[in-house]
Amino acid sequence: MRKILIVGAGQAGLQLALGVQSKGYEVTLMSNRTPAEIRNGRVMSTQCMFHTALQHERDLGINSWEDQAPRIEGLGVSVTAPDGSRPIDWVGHLDAYAQSVDQRVKMAGWMETFAARGGRLVIHGVAVSDLDYLSRTYDLVLVAAGKGELVSMFGRDDSRSPYDSPQRALAVSYVHGLAPRPEHPDLHAVRLNLVPGAGELITIPALTTSGPCDILFWEGLPGGPMDVFDGVKEPAEILRTTLDLIRRYLPWEYDRARDVELTDAGSTLTGRFAPVVRNPVGELPSGGLVLGVADVVVANDPITGQGSNSAAKCAASYLDSITEHGDKLFDREWMQSTFDRYWDDAQHVTKWTNALLGPPPEHVLGLIGAAGQIPAVANRFANGFDDPADFEQYFFEPARTAAYLAKAASAQS
Amino acid sequence: MPRHASPVSDGVAAAALPTRGAGRRSARVRPYALTGGRTQFGHVLLVETFVAAIDGPEDRLEILSGDWAERVMPEMRAIVELCRRMRSVAEISALLRMPLGVVRVLLSDLADQGRIRVYGTGHAPGAPDHALLERVLSGLRRL
Ligand SMILES: Cc1cc2nc3c(=O)[nH]c(=O)nc-3n(C[C@H](O)[C@H](O)[C@H](O)COP(=O)(O)OP(=O)(O)OC[C@H]3O[C@@H](n4cnc5c(N)ncnc54)[C@H](O)[C@@H]3O)c2cc1C
Repeated sequence: MRKILIVGAGQAGLQLALGVQSKGYEVTLMSNRTPAEIRNGRVMSTQCMFHTALQHERDLGINSWEDQAPRIEGLGVSVTAPDGSRPIDWVGHLDAYAQSVDQRVKMAGWMETFAARGGRLVIHGVAVSDLDYLSRTYDLVLVAAGKGELVSMFGRDDSRSPYDSPQRALAVSYVHGLAPRPEHPDLHAVRLNLVPGAGELITIPALTTSGPCDILFWEGLPGGPMDVFDGVKEPAEILRTTLDLIRRYLPWEYDRARDVELTDAGSTLTGRFAPVVRNPVGELPSGGLVLGVADVVVANDPITGQGSNSAAKCAASYLDSITEHGDKLFDREWMQSTFDRYWDDAQHVTKWTNALLGPPPEHVLGLIGAAGQIPAVANRFANGFDDPADFEQYFFEPARTAAYLAKAASAQS
Repeated sequence: MPRHASPVSDGVAAAALPTRGAGRRSARVRPYALTGGRTQFGHVLLVETFVAAIDGPEDRLEILSGDWAERVMPEMRAIVELCRRMRSVAEISALLRMPLGVVRVLLSDLADQGRIRVYGTGHAPGAPDHALLERVLSGLRRL
Protein backbone atom coordinates (compact mmCIF):
# COMPACT_ATOMS: atom_id res chain seq x y z
CA MET A 1 0.00 0.00 0.00
CA ARG A 2 1.50 3.34 -1.08
CA LYS A 3 1.61 5.92 1.69
CA ILE A 4 1.08 9.58 0.95
CA LEU A 5 1.46 12.53 3.31
CA ILE A 6 -0.41 15.74 2.53
CA VAL A 7 0.24 18.97 4.43
CA GLY A 8 -2.55 21.55 4.45
CA ALA A 9 -6.31 21.05 4.52
CA GLY A 10 -7.47 23.61 1.95
CA GLN A 11 -9.15 23.16 -1.43
CA ALA A 12 -6.11 21.45 -2.93
CA GLY A 13 -4.92 19.37 0.03
CA LEU A 14 -8.35 18.04 0.93
CA GLN A 15 -9.52 17.39 -2.62
CA LEU A 16 -6.30 15.51 -3.28
CA ALA A 17 -6.51 13.63 0.04
CA LEU A 18 -10.07 12.52 -0.70
CA GLY A 19 -9.03 11.67 -4.26
CA VAL A 20 -6.04 9.46 -3.49
CA GLN A 21 -7.97 7.94 -0.59
CA SER A 22 -10.73 6.87 -3.00
CA LYS A 23 -8.07 5.20 -5.17
CA GLY A 24 -6.94 3.05 -2.26
CA TYR A 25 -3.81 4.90 -1.15
CA GLU A 26 -3.10 5.26 2.54
CA VAL A 27 -3.24 8.96 3.30
CA THR A 28 -2.15 11.05 6.26
CA LEU A 29 -3.40 14.64 6.18
CA MET A 30 -1.83 17.24 8.46
CA SER A 31 -3.81 20.40 9.20
CA ASN A 32 -2.89 23.23 11.52
CA ARG A 33 -6.50 23.59 12.58
CA THR A 34 -9.33 21.27 13.62
CA PRO A 35 -12.62 21.27 11.69
CA ALA A 36 -14.27 23.15 14.56
CA GLU A 37 -11.55 25.78 14.57
CA ILE A 38 -11.96 26.27 10.82
CA ARG A 39 -15.75 26.43 11.03
CA ASN A 40 -15.66 28.93 13.90
CA GLY A 41 -12.75 30.92 12.49
CA ARG A 42 -12.68 33.68 9.96
CA VAL A 43 -13.39 33.59 6.26
CA MET A 44 -10.42 32.82 4.02
CA SER A 45 -11.51 33.60 0.47
CA THR A 46 -14.45 34.41 -1.76
CA GLN A 47 -13.87 31.01 -3.49
CA CYS A 48 -16.17 31.39 -6.48
CA MET A 49 -15.77 28.19 -8.50
CA PHE A 50 -16.80 27.66 -12.10
CA HIS A 51 -18.00 24.57 -13.92
CA THR A 52 -14.76 22.70 -14.62
CA ALA A 53 -13.59 23.02 -11.01
CA LEU A 54 -17.03 22.10 -9.63
CA GLN A 55 -17.06 19.03 -11.88
CA HIS A 56 -13.83 17.79 -10.28
CA GLU A 57 -15.66 17.86 -6.93
CA ARG A 58 -18.67 16.05 -8.42
CA ASP A 59 -16.36 13.40 -9.86
CA LEU A 60 -15.20 12.60 -6.32
CA GLY A 61 -18.70 12.77 -4.85
CA ILE A 62 -17.74 15.62 -2.52
CA ASN A 63 -20.11 18.30 -3.91
CA SER A 64 -22.07 18.13 -0.67
CA TRP A 65 -23.40 21.73 -0.74
CA GLU A 66 -24.42 21.90 -4.40
CA ASP A 67 -28.14 21.95 -3.58
CA GLN A 68 -27.84 24.69 -0.98
CA ALA A 69 -25.43 27.12 -2.61
CA PRO A 70 -26.82 29.81 -4.94
CA ARG A 71 -26.39 28.96 -8.62
CA ILE A 72 -24.44 31.73 -10.24
CA GLU A 73 -25.67 31.96 -13.84
CA GLY A 74 -24.04 35.20 -14.93
CA LEU A 75 -20.95 37.34 -14.70
CA GLY A 76 -21.29 41.08 -15.21
CA VAL A 77 -18.90 43.96 -15.74
CA SER A 78 -19.68 47.58 -14.90
CA VAL A 79 -17.30 50.50 -15.24
CA THR A 80 -17.81 53.75 -13.39
CA ALA A 81 -17.06 57.21 -14.81
CA PRO A 82 -15.95 60.13 -12.61
CA ASP A 83 -19.52 61.53 -12.64
CA GLY A 84 -20.85 58.29 -11.15
CA SER A 85 -22.43 57.10 -14.40
CA ARG A 86 -21.93 53.63 -15.86
CA PRO A 87 -20.54 53.87 -19.40
CA ILE A 88 -20.07 50.10 -19.48
CA ASP A 89 -22.60 47.77 -17.93
CA TRP A 90 -23.38 44.25 -19.10
CA VAL A 91 -23.81 40.71 -17.89
CA GLY A 92 -22.65 37.58 -19.69
CA HIS A 93 -24.36 34.24 -19.22
CA LEU A 94 -22.39 31.24 -18.01
CA ASP A 95 -22.91 28.02 -19.97
CA ALA A 96 -22.99 26.14 -16.65
CA TYR A 97 -23.46 27.64 -13.22
CA ALA A 98 -20.75 28.64 -10.77
CA GLN A 99 -20.96 28.36 -6.98
CA SER A 100 -19.18 29.72 -3.93
CA VAL A 101 -19.26 27.60 -0.76
CA ASP A 102 -17.55 29.29 2.20
CA GLN A 103 -14.28 27.43 2.70
CA ARG A 104 -15.03 27.30 6.42
CA VAL A 105 -18.05 25.13 5.65
CA LYS A 106 -16.41 23.08 2.93
CA MET A 107 -13.02 22.38 4.49
CA ALA A 108 -14.45 21.49 7.90
CA GLY A 109 -16.95 19.16 6.23
CA TRP A 110 -14.37 17.56 3.96
CA MET A 111 -12.00 16.97 6.88
CA GLU A 112 -14.73 15.07 8.68
CA THR A 113 -15.54 13.09 5.53
CA PHE A 114 -11.87 12.23 5.09
CA ALA A 115 -11.59 10.98 8.67
CA ALA A 116 -14.91 9.13 8.49
CA ARG A 117 -13.64 7.30 5.37
CA GLY A 118 -10.70 6.08 7.43
CA GLY A 119 -8.12 8.74 6.58
CA ARG A 120 -5.60 9.71 9.21
CA LEU A 121 -5.99 13.36 10.16
CA VAL A 122 -3.25 14.82 12.33
CA ILE A 123 -3.70 18.31 13.76
CA HIS A 124 -0.33 20.00 13.70
CA GLY A 125 1.28 23.11 12.26
CA VAL A 126 3.94 21.36 10.21
CA ALA A 127 7.54 22.55 10.32
CA VAL A 128 10.41 21.67 7.98
CA SER A 129 11.93 19.54 10.76
CA ASP A 130 8.79 17.37 10.78
CA LEU A 131 8.98 16.89 7.02
CA ASP A 132 12.67 16.10 7.19
CA TYR A 133 11.83 12.96 9.14
CA LEU A 134 8.46 12.16 7.60
CA SER A 135 9.71 12.33 4.00
CA ARG A 136 11.79 9.24 4.74
CA THR A 137 8.77 7.26 5.84
CA TYR A 138 6.23 8.20 3.14
CA ASP A 139 6.35 7.34 -0.54
CA LEU A 140 5.25 10.87 -1.41
CA VAL A 141 4.97 14.15 0.51
CA LEU A 142 2.74 16.87 -0.94
CA VAL A 143 2.81 20.40 0.49
CA ALA A 144 -0.56 22.11 -0.03
CA ALA A 145 -0.16 24.68 2.74
CA GLY A 146 -1.30 27.73 0.75
CA LYS A 147 0.56 30.92 1.52
CA GLY A 148 1.89 29.66 4.87
CA GLU A 149 5.52 29.66 5.97
CA LEU A 150 6.32 26.34 4.31
CA VAL A 151 6.49 28.13 0.94
CA SER A 152 10.02 29.11 1.95
CA MET A 153 11.06 25.59 0.87
CA PHE A 154 10.16 26.43 -2.73
CA GLY A 155 12.30 28.90 -4.62
CA ARG A 156 10.64 31.72 -6.54
CA ASP A 157 10.56 31.33 -10.33
CA ASP A 158 11.53 34.84 -11.37
CA SER A 159 10.87 34.21 -15.05
CA ARG A 160 7.21 33.49 -14.28
CA SER A 161 6.72 36.09 -11.50
CA PRO A 162 6.54 39.60 -12.99
CA TYR A 163 5.48 41.28 -9.72
CA ASP A 164 7.51 41.39 -6.53
CA SER A 165 5.00 43.29 -4.43
CA PRO A 166 1.25 43.06 -3.78
CA GLN A 167 -0.80 44.61 -6.61
CA ARG A 168 -4.03 45.00 -4.64
CA ALA A 169 -5.11 45.58 -1.06
CA LEU A 170 -7.92 43.14 -0.28
CA ALA A 171 -10.99 43.57 1.93
CA VAL A 172 -13.77 41.00 2.14
CA SER A 173 -17.13 41.15 3.97
CA TYR A 174 -19.73 38.37 3.97
CA VAL A 175 -23.21 39.90 4.31
CA HIS A 176 -26.87 39.05 4.51
CA GLY A 177 -29.44 41.40 3.02
CA LEU A 178 -27.86 42.46 -0.28
CA ALA A 179 -30.74 43.15 -2.68
CA PRO A 180 -30.56 41.87 -6.29
CA ARG A 181 -29.63 44.23 -9.11
CA PRO A 182 -33.01 45.72 -10.08
CA GLU A 183 -32.34 45.10 -13.78
CA HIS A 184 -31.95 41.33 -13.15
CA PRO A 185 -33.97 40.53 -10.04
CA ASP A 186 -33.90 36.77 -10.60
CA LEU A 187 -30.32 36.30 -11.75
CA HIS A 188 -27.50 35.28 -9.42
CA ALA A 189 -24.39 36.82 -10.91
CA VAL A 190 -20.85 37.75 -10.01
CA ARG A 191 -20.49 41.51 -10.53
CA LEU A 192 -17.17 43.06 -11.37
CA ASN A 193 -17.34 46.80 -10.81
CA LEU A 194 -14.29 48.63 -12.10
CA VAL A 195 -13.25 52.02 -10.76
CA PRO A 196 -10.50 52.96 -13.26
CA GLY A 197 -7.19 53.70 -11.63
CA ALA A 198 -8.49 52.93 -8.13
CA GLY A 199 -9.70 49.35 -7.82
CA GLU A 200 -12.52 46.88 -8.23
CA LEU A 201 -15.54 45.84 -6.20
CA ILE A 202 -16.56 42.25 -6.79
CA THR A 203 -19.85 40.91 -5.44
CA ILE A 204 -20.45 37.18 -5.25
CA PRO A 205 -23.50 35.18 -4.12
CA ALA A 206 -22.31 32.45 -1.75
CA LEU A 207 -23.25 29.88 0.89
CA THR A 208 -21.86 30.48 4.36
CA THR A 209 -22.30 28.97 7.83
CA SER A 210 -25.62 30.80 8.27
CA GLY A 211 -26.99 30.04 4.80
CA PRO A 212 -27.03 31.90 1.47
CA CYS A 213 -25.31 35.28 1.57
CA ASP A 214 -23.38 37.71 -0.63
CA ILE A 215 -19.75 38.70 -0.49
CA LEU A 216 -18.53 42.28 -0.95
CA PHE A 217 -14.91 42.21 -2.02
CA TRP A 218 -12.79 45.33 -2.61
CA GLU A 219 -9.54 45.07 -4.53
CA GLY A 220 -7.74 48.41 -4.13
CA LEU A 221 -4.62 49.59 -5.92
CA PRO A 222 -1.86 50.12 -3.35
CA GLY A 223 -1.83 53.73 -2.21
CA GLY A 224 -5.21 54.41 -3.85
CA PRO A 225 -8.56 55.35 -2.29
CA MET A 226 -9.52 51.71 -1.53
CA ASP A 227 -6.22 50.94 0.16
CA VAL A 228 -7.53 52.02 3.55
CA PHE A 229 -8.05 48.75 5.40
CA ASP A 230 -4.64 48.30 7.00
CA GLY A 231 -5.02 48.34 10.74
CA VAL A 232 -8.83 48.15 10.56
CA LYS A 233 -9.55 45.21 12.83
CA GLU A 234 -13.18 45.43 13.84
CA PRO A 235 -15.46 43.54 11.42
CA ALA A 236 -18.12 46.24 11.76
CA GLU A 237 -15.61 48.88 10.81
CA ILE A 238 -14.41 46.89 7.80
CA LEU A 239 -18.01 46.69 6.58
CA ARG A 240 -18.61 50.39 7.28
CA THR A 241 -15.50 51.34 5.30
CA THR A 242 -16.49 48.95 2.49
CA LEU A 243 -19.94 50.56 2.27
CA ASP A 244 -18.54 54.11 2.42
CA LEU A 245 -16.35 53.35 -0.58
CA ILE A 246 -19.26 51.76 -2.46
CA ARG A 247 -21.43 54.81 -1.80
CA ARG A 248 -18.73 57.16 -3.09
CA TYR A 249 -17.68 55.26 -6.19
CA LEU A 250 -20.47 52.86 -7.13
CA PRO A 251 -23.84 54.42 -6.31
CA TRP A 252 -25.76 51.69 -8.15
CA GLU A 253 -24.25 49.03 -5.92
CA TYR A 254 -24.84 51.12 -2.81
CA ASP A 255 -28.55 51.24 -3.66
CA ARG A 256 -28.84 47.53 -3.02
CA ALA A 257 -26.33 47.36 -0.18
CA ARG A 258 -27.76 49.89 2.29
CA ASP A 259 -29.33 47.34 4.62
CA VAL A 260 -26.68 44.64 4.71
CA GLU A 261 -25.44 43.00 7.91
CA LEU A 262 -22.34 40.90 8.49
CA THR A 263 -23.09 37.18 8.53
CA ASP A 264 -21.05 36.40 11.67
CA ALA A 265 -18.13 37.49 13.82
CA GLY A 266 -15.59 35.90 11.44
CA SER A 267 -17.10 37.30 8.25
CA THR A 268 -14.35 39.74 7.27
CA LEU A 269 -10.83 39.45 5.93
CA THR A 270 -8.23 42.02 4.95
CA GLY A 271 -4.67 41.78 3.71
CA ARG A 272 -2.48 41.66 0.62
CA PHE A 273 0.04 39.37 -1.05
CA ALA A 274 2.29 39.42 -4.07
CA PRO A 275 1.44 37.03 -6.91
CA VAL A 276 4.19 34.46 -7.39
CA VAL A 277 5.14 31.27 -9.21
CA ARG A 278 7.56 28.97 -7.41
CA ASN A 279 9.70 25.99 -8.28
CA PRO A 280 7.59 22.92 -7.58
CA VAL A 281 10.16 20.68 -5.89
CA GLY A 282 11.30 21.45 -2.35
CA GLU A 283 14.46 19.91 -0.98
CA LEU A 284 14.75 19.07 2.70
CA PRO A 285 17.95 19.31 4.74
CA SER A 286 18.20 15.50 4.70
CA GLY A 287 17.90 15.47 0.91
CA GLY A 288 14.28 14.31 0.84
CA LEU A 289 12.00 15.85 -1.78
CA VAL A 290 8.51 17.29 -1.46
CA LEU A 291 6.13 18.47 -4.17
CA GLY A 292 4.27 21.79 -3.87
CA VAL A 293 0.55 21.95 -4.70
CA ALA A 294 -1.74 24.80 -5.87
CA ASP A 295 -1.16 28.16 -4.08
CA VAL A 296 2.21 26.94 -2.80
CA VAL A 297 3.52 26.86 -6.37
CA VAL A 298 1.22 29.25 -8.26
CA ALA A 299 -0.44 32.05 -6.28
CA ASN A 300 -2.32 34.58 -8.43
CA ASP A 301 -4.05 37.75 -7.28
CA PRO A 302 -7.74 37.01 -6.58
CA ILE A 303 -8.91 39.70 -9.04
CA THR A 304 -9.96 36.99 -11.51
CA GLY A 305 -11.34 34.65 -8.84
CA GLN A 306 -9.22 31.75 -10.00
CA GLY A 307 -7.25 30.46 -6.98
CA SER A 308 -9.62 27.80 -5.75
CA ASN A 309 -10.51 26.89 -9.35
CA SER A 310 -6.81 26.40 -9.97
CA ALA A 311 -6.44 24.49 -6.70
CA ALA A 312 -9.19 22.10 -7.81
CA LYS A 313 -7.62 21.71 -11.26
CA CYS A 314 -4.18 21.18 -9.73
CA ALA A 315 -5.49 18.53 -7.35
CA ALA A 316 -7.28 16.74 -10.20
CA SER A 317 -4.19 16.85 -12.42
CA TYR A 318 -1.87 15.63 -9.64
CA LEU A 319 -4.32 12.83 -8.82
CA ASP A 320 -4.04 11.57 -12.41
CA SER A 321 -0.25 11.84 -12.35
CA ILE A 322 -0.08 9.90 -9.07
CA THR A 323 -2.35 7.05 -10.13
CA GLU A 324 -0.80 6.76 -13.60
CA HIS A 325 2.64 6.39 -12.00
CA GLY A 326 1.64 3.09 -10.39
CA ASP A 327 4.27 1.60 -8.11
CA LYS A 328 7.22 3.53 -9.49
CA LEU A 329 9.33 5.86 -7.39
CA PHE A 330 8.04 9.41 -6.95
CA ASP A 331 11.37 11.00 -7.86
CA ARG A 332 12.38 14.53 -8.83
CA GLU A 333 11.69 13.89 -12.48
CA TRP A 334 8.16 12.71 -11.77
CA MET A 335 7.56 15.72 -9.52
CA GLN A 336 8.74 18.18 -12.16
CA SER A 337 6.67 16.57 -14.91
CA THR A 338 3.62 16.44 -12.64
CA PHE A 339 3.91 20.19 -12.11
CA ASP A 340 4.62 20.84 -15.82
CA ARG A 341 1.44 19.02 -16.73
CA TYR A 342 -0.53 21.29 -14.37
CA TRP A 343 1.32 24.42 -15.54
CA ASP A 344 0.25 23.64 -19.12
CA ASP A 345 -3.19 24.89 -18.11
CA ALA A 346 -2.26 27.10 -15.14
CA GLN A 347 0.00 29.35 -17.22
CA HIS A 348 -3.04 30.83 -18.95
CA VAL A 349 -4.59 31.76 -15.61
CA THR A 350 -1.40 33.47 -14.48
CA LYS A 351 -0.94 35.36 -17.74
CA TRP A 352 -4.55 36.61 -17.84
CA THR A 353 -4.67 37.49 -14.13
CA ASN A 354 -1.41 39.41 -14.25
CA ALA A 355 -2.67 41.26 -17.33
CA LEU A 356 -5.82 42.39 -15.50
CA LEU A 357 -3.75 43.80 -12.64
CA GLY A 358 -2.16 46.42 -14.90
CA PRO A 359 -3.93 49.37 -16.52
CA PRO A 360 -6.14 48.03 -19.34
CA PRO A 361 -4.71 48.66 -22.81
CA GLU A 362 -6.85 50.35 -25.45
CA HIS A 363 -7.90 47.13 -27.20
CA VAL A 364 -9.07 45.55 -23.94
CA LEU A 365 -11.20 48.60 -23.14
CA GLY A 366 -12.64 48.27 -26.63
CA LEU A 367 -13.40 44.62 -26.00
CA ILE A 368 -15.11 45.24 -22.68
CA GLY A 369 -17.09 48.07 -24.24
CA ALA A 370 -18.12 45.94 -27.22
CA ALA A 371 -19.42 43.24 -24.88
CA GLY A 372 -22.19 45.69 -23.94
CA GLN A 373 -23.31 45.80 -27.57
CA ILE A 374 -22.71 42.20 -28.56
CA PRO A 375 -24.08 39.59 -26.12
CA ALA A 376 -21.93 36.84 -27.67
CA VAL A 377 -18.82 38.74 -26.61
CA ALA A 378 -20.13 39.20 -23.07
CA ASN A 379 -20.94 35.50 -22.88
CA ARG A 380 -17.54 34.46 -24.16
CA PHE A 381 -15.78 36.74 -21.68
CA ALA A 382 -17.88 35.37 -18.79
CA ASN A 383 -17.15 31.76 -19.76
CA GLY A 384 -13.45 32.56 -19.89
CA PHE A 385 -13.53 32.47 -16.10
CA ASP A 386 -14.20 28.75 -16.42
CA ASP A 387 -11.55 28.20 -19.09
CA PRO A 388 -9.00 31.03 -19.09
CA ALA A 389 -7.02 29.37 -21.90
CA ASP A 390 -9.68 30.78 -24.24
CA PHE A 391 -8.39 34.32 -23.65
CA GLU A 392 -5.33 33.38 -25.70
CA GLN A 393 -7.58 33.44 -28.75
CA TYR A 394 -8.71 37.06 -28.56
CA PHE A 395 -7.65 38.96 -25.43
CA PHE A 396 -3.93 39.74 -25.48
CA GLU A 397 -3.10 40.71 -29.06
CA PRO A 398 -4.81 43.87 -30.41
CA ALA A 399 -5.01 42.36 -33.90
CA ARG A 400 -6.71 39.20 -32.63
CA THR A 401 -9.16 41.25 -30.54
CA ALA A 402 -10.05 43.36 -33.58
CA ALA A 403 -10.52 40.29 -35.78
CA TYR A 404 -12.71 38.59 -33.19
CA LEU A 405 -14.87 41.68 -32.63
CA ALA A 406 -15.34 42.16 -36.36
CA LYS A 407 -16.48 38.57 -36.69
CA ALA A 408 -18.76 38.75 -33.66
CA ALA A 409 -20.34 41.99 -34.88
CA SER A 410 -21.08 40.63 -38.33
CA ALA A 411 -22.49 37.41 -36.87
CA GLN A 412 -24.93 39.53 -34.90
CA SER A 413 -26.15 41.77 -37.70
CA MET B 1 1.18 39.97 16.11
CA PRO B 2 -2.52 39.66 16.83
CA ARG B 3 -4.07 36.62 15.27
CA HIS B 4 -6.56 38.59 13.26
CA ALA B 5 -4.11 40.93 11.57
CA SER B 6 -3.94 40.47 7.80
CA PRO B 7 -4.67 36.76 7.49
CA VAL B 8 -4.03 37.21 3.78
CA SER B 9 -0.45 38.17 3.53
CA ASP B 10 2.80 37.93 1.72
CA GLY B 11 5.73 35.95 3.03
CA VAL B 12 6.80 38.68 5.41
CA ALA B 13 3.57 38.70 7.34
CA ALA B 14 2.91 35.01 6.87
CA ALA B 15 2.99 34.44 10.63
CA ALA B 16 -0.42 36.09 10.74
CA LEU B 17 -2.02 33.25 8.82
CA PRO B 18 -4.39 31.19 10.91
CA THR B 19 -2.28 29.00 13.15
CA ARG B 20 -2.89 27.32 16.42
CA GLY B 21 -1.49 29.39 19.18
CA ALA B 22 -1.60 31.97 21.88
CA GLY B 23 -4.81 33.73 22.70
CA ARG B 24 -6.96 31.08 21.12
CA ARG B 25 -6.66 28.26 23.58
CA SER B 26 -10.06 28.72 25.11
CA ALA B 27 -11.74 28.55 21.71
CA ARG B 28 -10.15 25.18 21.00
CA VAL B 29 -12.40 22.19 21.13
CA ARG B 30 -10.93 19.84 23.68
CA PRO B 31 -12.23 16.34 23.34
CA TYR B 32 -11.31 15.18 26.82
CA ALA B 33 -13.43 12.09 26.86
CA LEU B 34 -12.13 10.15 23.91
CA THR B 35 -13.05 6.54 23.68
CA GLY B 36 -10.62 4.42 21.77
CA GLY B 37 -8.63 7.57 21.18
CA ARG B 38 -10.66 8.72 18.22
CA THR B 39 -13.10 11.58 17.92
CA GLN B 40 -15.36 11.87 14.91
CA PHE B 41 -12.48 13.50 13.06
CA GLY B 42 -9.42 11.69 14.35
CA HIS B 43 -7.01 12.17 17.18
CA VAL B 44 -6.47 15.60 18.66
CA LEU B 45 -3.12 15.47 20.31
CA LEU B 46 -2.42 18.73 22.08
CA VAL B 47 1.01 19.14 23.63
CA GLU B 48 -0.60 18.54 27.02
CA THR B 49 -2.62 15.50 25.92
CA PHE B 50 -1.77 12.37 27.90
CA VAL B 51 -1.20 9.01 26.30
CA ALA B 52 -0.13 5.63 27.63
CA ALA B 53 0.73 2.25 26.15
CA ILE B 54 -1.98 -0.36 26.27
CA ASP B 55 -0.69 -3.35 28.19
CA GLY B 56 0.02 -6.33 26.05
CA PRO B 57 2.53 -9.07 25.49
CA GLU B 58 6.07 -7.83 25.11
CA ASP B 59 6.25 -8.98 21.51
CA ARG B 60 3.10 -7.30 20.28
CA LEU B 61 4.96 -4.75 18.22
CA GLU B 62 6.50 -7.58 16.23
CA ILE B 63 3.10 -8.19 14.65
CA LEU B 64 3.67 -5.00 12.70
CA SER B 65 4.93 -5.72 9.27
CA GLY B 66 5.33 -4.03 5.94
CA ASP B 67 7.29 -1.19 4.56
CA TRP B 68 6.00 1.64 6.71
CA ALA B 69 6.28 -0.32 9.92
CA GLU B 70 9.89 -1.19 9.16
CA ARG B 71 10.78 2.39 8.40
CA VAL B 72 9.35 3.75 11.62
CA MET B 73 9.90 0.73 13.84
CA PRO B 74 12.66 2.11 16.05
CA GLU B 75 10.74 5.29 16.77
CA MET B 76 7.47 3.45 17.34
CA ARG B 77 9.17 1.09 19.72
CA ALA B 78 10.78 3.97 21.59
CA ILE B 79 7.43 5.69 22.01
CA VAL B 80 5.67 2.57 23.26
CA GLU B 81 8.55 1.94 25.66
CA LEU B 82 8.34 5.48 27.02
CA CYS B 83 4.58 5.26 27.37
CA ARG B 84 4.65 2.42 29.86
CA ARG B 85 3.70 5.25 32.19
CA MET B 86 1.48 8.10 31.26
CA ARG B 87 3.21 10.78 29.19
CA SER B 88 2.20 14.02 27.63
CA VAL B 89 2.80 14.57 23.92
CA ALA B 90 5.28 17.32 24.78
CA GLU B 91 7.23 14.98 27.07
CA ILE B 92 7.55 12.32 24.39
CA SER B 93 8.80 14.86 21.88
CA ALA B 94 11.34 16.28 24.31
CA LEU B 95 12.58 12.96 25.72
CA LEU B 96 13.03 11.36 22.30
CA ARG B 97 14.25 14.59 20.69
CA MET B 98 11.72 14.04 17.97
CA PRO B 99 9.89 16.88 16.18
CA LEU B 100 6.40 17.38 17.57
CA GLY B 101 4.73 16.72 14.22
CA VAL B 102 6.48 13.38 13.90
CA VAL B 103 5.38 12.38 17.40
CA ARG B 104 1.81 13.32 16.54
CA VAL B 105 1.83 11.24 13.33
CA LEU B 106 3.35 8.21 15.04
CA LEU B 107 1.03 8.46 18.04
CA SER B 108 -1.98 8.63 15.71
CA ASP B 109 -0.76 5.49 14.04
CA LEU B 110 -0.18 3.71 17.35
CA ALA B 111 -3.60 4.76 18.62
CA ASP B 112 -5.27 3.49 15.44
CA GLN B 113 -3.51 0.18 15.97
CA GLY B 114 -4.74 0.04 19.54
CA ARG B 115 -1.22 0.17 20.97
CA ILE B 116 -1.64 3.36 22.92
CA ARG B 117 -4.63 5.00 24.51
CA VAL B 118 -5.27 8.73 24.25
CA TYR B 119 -6.52 10.08 27.57
CA GLY B 120 -7.02 13.69 26.55
CA THR B 121 -6.01 16.57 28.74
CA GLY B 122 -8.39 15.81 31.54
CA HIS B 123 -10.00 19.21 31.56
CA ALA B 124 -13.05 20.79 30.00
CA PRO B 125 -12.99 23.61 27.43
CA GLY B 126 -11.74 26.82 28.95
CA ALA B 127 -11.17 25.23 32.35
CA PRO B 128 -7.53 24.20 32.66
CA ASP B 129 -6.87 21.55 35.22
CA HIS B 130 -3.92 22.94 37.11
CA ALA B 131 -2.92 19.64 38.62
CA LEU B 132 -2.57 18.10 35.19
CA LEU B 133 -0.80 21.08 33.69
CA GLU B 134 1.54 20.88 36.65
CA ARG B 135 2.24 17.25 35.78
CA VAL B 136 3.14 18.20 32.24
CA LEU B 137 5.44 20.90 33.46
CA SER B 138 7.13 18.77 36.07
CA GLY B 139 7.50 16.01 33.51
CA LEU B 140 9.30 18.49 31.30
CA ARG B 141 11.42 19.83 34.15
CA ARG B 142 12.71 16.34 34.91
CA LEU B 143 14.27 16.10 31.46
C1 LIG C 1 -9.55 37.64 -0.57
C2 LIG C 1 -9.46 36.43 -1.45
C3 LIG C 1 -10.47 36.16 -2.36
C4 LIG C 1 -10.40 35.05 -3.19
N1 LIG C 1 -11.41 34.81 -4.07
C5 LIG C 1 -11.37 33.71 -4.87
C6 LIG C 1 -12.45 33.40 -5.75
O1 LIG C 1 -13.47 34.09 -5.82
N2 LIG C 1 -12.33 32.30 -6.54
C7 LIG C 1 -11.25 31.50 -6.48
O2 LIG C 1 -11.21 30.51 -7.21
N3 LIG C 1 -10.23 31.75 -5.64
C8 LIG C 1 -10.26 32.84 -4.84
N4 LIG C 1 -9.24 33.09 -3.98
C9 LIG C 1 -8.06 32.21 -3.96
C10 LIG C 1 -8.31 30.91 -3.23
O3 LIG C 1 -8.91 31.13 -1.98
C11 LIG C 1 -6.99 30.20 -3.02
O4 LIG C 1 -6.22 30.25 -4.18
C12 LIG C 1 -7.22 28.73 -2.65
O5 LIG C 1 -7.87 28.65 -1.42
C13 LIG C 1 -5.90 27.99 -2.60
O6 LIG C 1 -6.10 26.69 -2.15
P1 LIG C 1 -4.93 25.88 -1.47
O7 LIG C 1 -5.50 24.58 -1.09
O8 LIG C 1 -3.74 25.91 -2.36
O9 LIG C 1 -4.49 26.73 -0.21
P2 LIG C 1 -5.34 27.21 1.06
O10 LIG C 1 -6.78 27.30 0.73
O11 LIG C 1 -4.65 28.42 1.55
O12 LIG C 1 -5.16 26.02 2.10
C14 LIG C 1 -3.95 25.78 2.77
C15 LIG C 1 -4.24 25.18 4.12
O13 LIG C 1 -3.02 24.77 4.74
C16 LIG C 1 -3.00 25.20 6.07
N5 LIG C 1 -1.59 25.34 6.49
C17 LIG C 1 -0.74 26.36 6.23
N6 LIG C 1 0.46 26.13 6.77
C18 LIG C 1 0.37 24.93 7.39
C19 LIG C 1 1.30 24.15 8.14
N7 LIG C 1 2.56 24.55 8.34
N8 LIG C 1 0.89 22.97 8.64
C20 LIG C 1 -0.39 22.54 8.45
N9 LIG C 1 -1.30 23.24 7.74
C21 LIG C 1 -0.93 24.42 7.22
C22 LIG C 1 -3.78 26.48 6.07
O14 LIG C 1 -4.28 26.80 7.34
C23 LIG C 1 -4.89 26.15 5.09
O15 LIG C 1 -5.95 25.52 5.73
C24 LIG C 1 -9.29 34.20 -3.12
C25 LIG C 1 -8.27 34.46 -2.20
C26 LIG C 1 -8.35 35.55 -1.37
C27 LIG C 1 -7.26 35.81 -0.40
